[in-house]
Amino acid sequence: MSAVAMGVISLIFLWGFNDGVHNTMMRNLQEVIVGSIQIHAKGFFRKPSLQDTLEDVPSLLELLDRMHVQRVAPRLRAFALAAGRETSEGLVVLGVDPRLERTVTRLQEKLDRGRYLEEMDRASCILGQTTARNLGVDVGDEIVLLTEDRYHVLAAEKFRVIGIIASGEMGIDRGLAIIPIRFMQAWLDMGQQISGLVLQLPPERLEAVTAALRQHLDQRFEVLRWYDMYPMMKQWVELENGFYYIFLSIVLVIVAAGIANTVLMSMLDRIHEFGVMMALGCSRLRLAGMIVLESVLLGVAGMAAGCLAGLALVSWFGRHGIDLSAQMDTVSRFYVDPVVHTQIDTDHLLVTLGAVLLAAALAAIWPAVRVARLQPVEAMRHV
Amino acid sequence: MAIIHAHRLRKTYPSGSTHVVALDDVSFDVQQGDFVVIAGRSGSGKTTLLNMLGALDRPDSGTLKVAGQDLLSMGEAERANFRLWHIGFVFQAYNLIRVLTARENVAYVLQLQGKPSRERLKAADAWLAEVGLEGMGDRRPDQMSGGQQQRVAVARALAMSPSLVLADEPTANLDTHTGGELIRLMRRINEKNGTTFVIASHDPAVIDAAHTLIVMQDGRIEQSVCRD
Repeated sequence: MSAVAMGVISLIFLWGFNDGVHNTMMRNLQEVIVGSIQIHAKGFFRKPSLQDTLEDVPSLLELLDRMHVQRVAPRLRAFALAAGRETSEGLVVLGVDPRLERTVTRLQEKLDRGRYLEEMDRASCILGQTTARNLGVDVGDEIVLLTEDRYHVLAAEKFRVIGIIASGEMGIDRGLAIIPIRFMQAWLDMGQQISGLVLQLPPERLEAVTAALRQHLDQRFEVLRWYDMYPMMKQWVELENGFYYIFLSIVLVIVAAGIANTVLMSMLDRIHEFGVMMALGCSRLRLAGMIVLESVLLGVAGMAAGCLAGLALVSWFGRHGIDLSAQMDTVSRFYVDPVVHTQIDTDHLLVTLGAVLLAAALAAIWPAVRVARLQPVEAMRHV
Repeated sequence: MAIIHAHRLRKTYPSGSTHVVALDDVSFDVQQGDFVVIAGRSGSGKTTLLNMLGALDRPDSGTLKVAGQDLLSMGEAERANFRLWHIGFVFQAYNLIRVLTARENVAYVLQLQGKPSRERLKAADAWLAEVGLEGMGDRRPDQMSGGQQQRVAVARALAMSPSLVLADEPTANLDTHTGGELIRLMRRINEKNGTTFVIASHDPAVIDAAHTLIVMQDGRIEQSVCRD
């Protein structure tokens, strides 16, 4: 039983670590910049254009309100050439509402120096640290952004750098300038138009809200989940989970071998008893079933003990975290937090427990077959 | 009415390159309610014959009907079911299940028969009382004497309301006094309930109690006596 319990503890803890890392990565991706869902004009995500703006925004906001989606922020997006003190660089200009953006992303938490945008800011911008370094600017310096407005007329404006972001993510630290959306709309003659809406949702609402939006919105719109836009993260998580399933199978083979050994020894120890039971009228099928049941009960007992201890471990490290900052110099770029807070997804827990039960049942097959082959007279002679 | 009809039973066992004849041309009938003792020296074929009658083993040839059923035509599952509903066994070494109490040992066969829990425990207590073990139902085999354990085995054999009780050397592990008590108990139940007993033994006290005595030697029936 202790072997089963140890197996279950290690599996639950490893799943807890794995899920903790994965869920943090996916949450960070959504909360730092992408959001859970983005709504754009059809085709905007694949081919962004200042001209492809979101239509009927008030009705859209009303619909989101009816769906109890509270965390919504507008964005306007354009491409520009940024000129700094030393050089120039092409980048994406992202217009955000400083107040509403805080409800959907945590960009402000990634500030390395300076401050975040405020409501009253006008020609202010936040740059990623790589872009700032390339342009040779820092907080308080000025850059010039050169782009086209809505009518393809060249537009240039001087912006003061008020903050530098150091997120560890290349897509944010390089090639991105964040400016106030109202100033951007005025600068590029956009009126009240926006490129899209960013929504932030709890994970359990993601699919339902996406389905409802796709049902309600017509062909003019595209509703994209975070992993529709950035599938690599989800694919990477699924690949890693695949490796864990292989590991799970190996541990289960060890657990099954442990159970099979215990059940077989117990069976060999009771051959005389089984002979008596057969003589009394117990059928071979019933005896074999009894062996399987014993094995499953052994599995259940080990599983229950292992599950309690494993969940306690996951819960403790979920609260206190495992600090891997010394080992995470390179991977910290991939939205991984240096302190891993373990947590286990319900489906992974259930798959693990189900697999242990199945392993316990399968482990009993050989001992059960041996019991079913016993001859009562010979078995009763066995001492 | 014959509860056992055995005709020309033969059984051999391989022994190295030869075969040992355990039963040779054994034929006899046992009437319902009889108290039969099969006597003979060790190796005379008593236990082999008892195993045939209890559907634990098969003869190589011959005809064997017990309680109106042809045992030779039955498959393994049918034979197990036949033992469950028709045969009560009492073994030389008691063969109680050591992790169960006396009550649970008796109730076990009733559980196999599918009787409800309350009914089988009540019946187990009644049979333990019948064999003189009232109030000892909670004891495990290792907390009982040999005589007491064999009484539990008798209660277990009788609890299932068998057509036939087969006992293999039931007094062999008991002292003379306890063995005598046990055989008187079996005789009393035979007379009271009309249960048929077939006992393999070379104990003179058991042989004295026989209504029908079958004497075996070298796998053959040497003598069959009915004491009316």
